[in-house]
Amino acid sequence: MTVITNTSIDTEYGAFFAEARERNVIFYYVGYFSQNIIAAMSDAVRLQLAVSGADGGTRRKLFSSFVEMAQNIVHYSSDALTPPTQDDGQLRHGSVCISRVDDHYRLICSNPVATARVEQLRATLEPLRTMTLDEIKAAYRETLRAETPEGSKGAGLGFLTMARDASAPLEYHFQPIDADPVSTMFQLVATI
Amino acid sequence: MENLFIAATPASPEVNFDFQTHTLSLKGESYPENAAVFYGEALTRLRKYLNLCEDVDITVNVALTYFNSSSTKILFSIFDALDEAAQRGNRVAVNWFHDEDDDTILEFGQELHADFPTLGFTDHITTNG
Repeated sequence: MTVITNTSIDTEYGAFFAEARERNVIFYYVGYFSQNIIAAMSDAVRLQLAVSGADGGTRRKLFSSFVEMAQNIVHYSSDALTPPTQDDGQLRHGSVCISRVDDHYRLICSNPVATARVEQLRATLEPLRTMTLDEIKAAYRETLRAETPEGSKGAGLGFLTMARDASAPLEYHFQPIDADPVSTMFQLVATI
Repeated sequence: MENLFIAATPASPEVNFDFQTHTLSLKGESYPENAAVFYGEALTRLRKYLNLCEDVDITVNVALTYFNSSSTKILFSIFDALDEAAQRGNRVAVNWFHDEDDDTILEFGQELHADFPTLGFTDHITTNG
């Protein structure tokens, strides 16, 4: 059995904690997401934001984007413990991170998606990056009045909600997973 | 018609549809895992109730502190159904509650008001906290 001494704790984890501190990480979770876990994390995130001194409007926008990201993981991550046909009580894997960057907050979420969905996601996200706030609000209004897209559990409004709340264009990245070519790691960044 | 009451949870609102007194209330947080599933029964009952309404005064209270994107879609459907009932001659009075600094909920209320002019709409500011 390996004895963990104070020195080895520092060697093994010191860099991890130092990096988190340096990057002003105020919340990070990686693991399975369920509705109950999201509700509990929501409490933690709200409390963190309340003590962070952010104004009410910023806190609401951050919280809103946090919930949309976390629920996207529950709905769409391709790493699921529950069957794909199940539309409630799901458990799926991903991560969310909230950090402070200069005068803003940055939210990052990450989860695997089916590689077959990558182009569809890109086609939804890319146009949002060049839209003005007024155009985003107009697209939001239009989507609200349209029929819910096939296969969508969030009414197709989730990305528009994040784009509306963000102070900069949404950023995204797709990273192929060599060991599992049918899956691709999807990362989404919202700056509030 | 039997009333509908669903108690609030941390992520879903109290739904209190008192059809006897024609008072329909939503109160709390709304980010259930699947809004279509959560609101399914409430929407079905609401539509049945509204179909039976003739020349009725209906009061609707919406005091939601947060709603996610899929709940927003459901709220729009609820207002669509209310609007239809109002166009058939019922009188629908909506009380829309929001925190004083919550621009998102304020603006969504204004949008509903503009979209459904047959509904009587009153904006109420609640104190922050």
